[in-house]
Amino acid sequence: MNPVISVRNLTKTYHVGEHQVNALRSISLDVQAGEFVSVIGPSGSGKSTLMHILGCLDQPTSGQYFLDGRDVSHLSDDEISLVRNKQIGFVFQGFNLLTRTSALENVELPLLYGTGNITAAERRKRAMAALASVGLESRYDHHTNQLSGGQQQRVAIARALLNNPSILLADEPTGNLDSKTSIEVMEIFQSLQKERGITIVLITHEMDVAEYGSRIISFKDGNIISDVTNESRRHAKGELDVLPSVAEGVA
Amino acid sequence: MSLGNSYIIALKALRRNKMQTALTMLGMTIGVATVLTMIALGSGAQKAIQDQVKAAGMNMLVVTAGNYQAQREKPPDDAIEMGAVRNPEVNGHPHLQLALFHPEDDPFAIHDHPTARQRLGDSEAGLGAAATLTIEDANAIRKINGVQYACEGIHENVHVADGDTRWFTRVHGDDSSLPNIRRAWSFVHGDFFSARQQRKNEQVVVLGNIVAAKLFGDVNPVGKTVTLWKQPFKIVGVVTSSSWMVTPESGDDQFDAVYIPVTTMQKLLNLSKLNDITVTTSSTGDVTRVSKTIVTLLRSRHKIGGNTPDDFTVASQASKALTKGGLRPDVASAVTGNAAGLEKVTLDQLGKTLDKSSKTMTALLASIATVSLIVGGIGIMNIMLLSVTERTREIGIRRAVGARATDVLLQFILESVTLSVVGGLLGILIGVVAAIAISHAVQWSTSISPLAVALSFGISAAVGIFFGYYPAREASRVAPLTSLRFE
Repeated sequence: MNPVISVRNLTKTYHVGEHQVNALRSISLDVQAGEFVSVIGPSGSGKSTLMHILGCLDQPTSGQYFLDGRDVSHLSDDEISLVRNKQIGFVFQGFNLLTRTSALENVELPLLYGTGNITAAERRKRAMAALASVGLESRYDHHTNQLSGGQQQRVAIARALLNNPSILLADEPTGNLDSKTSIEVMEIFQSLQKERGITIVLITHEMDVAEYGSRIISFKDGNIISDVTNESRRHAKGELDVLPSVAEGVA
Repeated sequence: MSLGNSYIIALKALRRNKMQTALTMLGMTIGVATVLTMIALGSGAQKAIQDQVKAAGMNMLVVTAGNYQAQREKPPDDAIEMGAVRNPEVNGHPHLQLALFHPEDDPFAIHDHPTARQRLGDSEAGLGAAATLTIEDANAIRKINGVQYACEGIHENVHVADGDTRWFTRVHGDDSSLPNIRRAWSFVHGDFFSARQQRKNEQVVVLGNIVAAKLFGDVNPVGKTVTLWKQPFKIVGVVTSSSWMVTPESGDDQFDAVYIPVTTMQKLLNLSKLNDITVTTSSTGDVTRVSKTIVTLLRSRHKIGGNTPDDFTVASQASKALTKGGLRPDVASAVTGNAAGLEKVTLDQLGKTLDKSSKTMTALLASIATVSLIVGGIGIMNIMLLSVTERTREIGIRRAVGARATDVLLQFILESVTLSVVGGLLGILIGVVAAIAISHAVQWSTSISPLAVALSFGISAAVGIFFGYYPAREASRVAPLTSLRFE
């Protein structure tokens, strides 16, 4: 079986003034379909750069990146936009939802771009289904500022899942959330992997968050220093059950 | 991705920031409203000039029976130096002198009423009989290409009586089309007599409001009966001046007068001829040609050949138009400033000068208004440019979920076009309302042509594209990565 992500000798070099920063130094790695990969490392280790290249938000200085077997490392802007639209779902630390816009409209957003004409009714139907999968269908008409941080992140996950992407990229998704909400978000990720077989790449600098993944890749100074299967995986569902049940506050 | 989706995106984006959208639109609205109002005022002035020119008689010709017109307009050649002129002696009787001047016949005075010379004109000048024009002549003139209206005229003095109340005034026997020629007329009560009443020689009369006031005071006299020449006449209307420049006065021959059908007058007074025929042309520039055609036509109808002088006079009223017209003061001064020596210029020249000066004024007004339109456009550009910085994160989010650079470009252009077009449409609405309000409030005539509306709309759309393109291109160049990091 072909890997979903296949990276070969990937390097990324920035020039900051006179300085040359080697963010990635010849990285090679494969991610198989259905894996939940946690990428961990301190700031400046190159994990965010990797995430941007994997998300087609940035292009490597050299090396190749195959997504679903297709080399996407040197596509045109229009082609790469389509790849982002169809094959990649993003979840960010800062949620990155449109302000003054309802949850439903935020989730619909990917359907307004990309190829194919989708009717307004179809858009709505699919967006509602995505919201339902993260348990937010009842708040579809709430504006983002009327939702709590956890809810906003769930809206972002619903948006990321809308086009059934090949990979879900999560960049510090729990960075702005308290521990209980973090566990809830992780529970969603784990169930997405388990029930829908979605490939997830999670970027974090916290080991206890990384431990929700099935595989942990450690980064340091632009190099992979370890790549291991997580033997002591945490399970968010079990942790949620033992947490004292608190009524969820709505901002 | 379809244009429809881009439009949905743009509309949603505008809706997110209602205040900013409304204020930006307002700039555009004011700009377009100003342009439209100014054009309306300018072309209104232009139309007013044309209307006044027509109302004041620029397109009017009067064909008068007899050929003593020259004496009415200017003093006789031999009377130029009054003091030096010696009355010619009667042949063979050196002690007798021919009386050249009747005491009331001052050749330099222009009288409202006919002078003694004019009353005696025919026999004294010996140039054909006074009554040479007929209704058939008028009908022939009506058929000339370019003639708008022709109205027969017989004028007499008469006593109008309501029982014992009597008023000595003028009676005009006219055609029912007269109100179309006298544009500055309005009817206080009733209306002018109809063509049907004229055909049937009915004894109907229209009173000038002075006559009506003298005989009936404030009472509406329509339907009552007055007597002329001891004959009963039914009153069908009361006419007054609709121009504030012309006030009805006693003895003014227009509102201190009564009007009856020319056919009725001919029948009652046993006349077959007319005093004059008043002709209007459809276009001002046509007066010269039409007057020549009338001369040829009447000469042939009256069988005048060779060098025999005309037995009628065709006169136009060119210069009176400007000095007596109801023009706005600024228009009038622009016109008199531009057309020196009004008495000397021909009608065509005058018409052209008038057109030119009013066009200059329209251009001036429009160019002032264009400034406000540009300001509105820069307002849009400013907001859109600000948006690009302010909305960097939004752009990043859109790029991350798959928007192409062209999608972002299209969104921003559509946003600015929507702003300018909706603002422009509102501006057109406000401009039309403002123009109507102005013409009501200060009586300035305004005219909104479909062309002006289409132009304003086109300009606002063009402004949206022109001033929206640069910010949109900037937005489309924002790199997805940097815009996502932007907090």
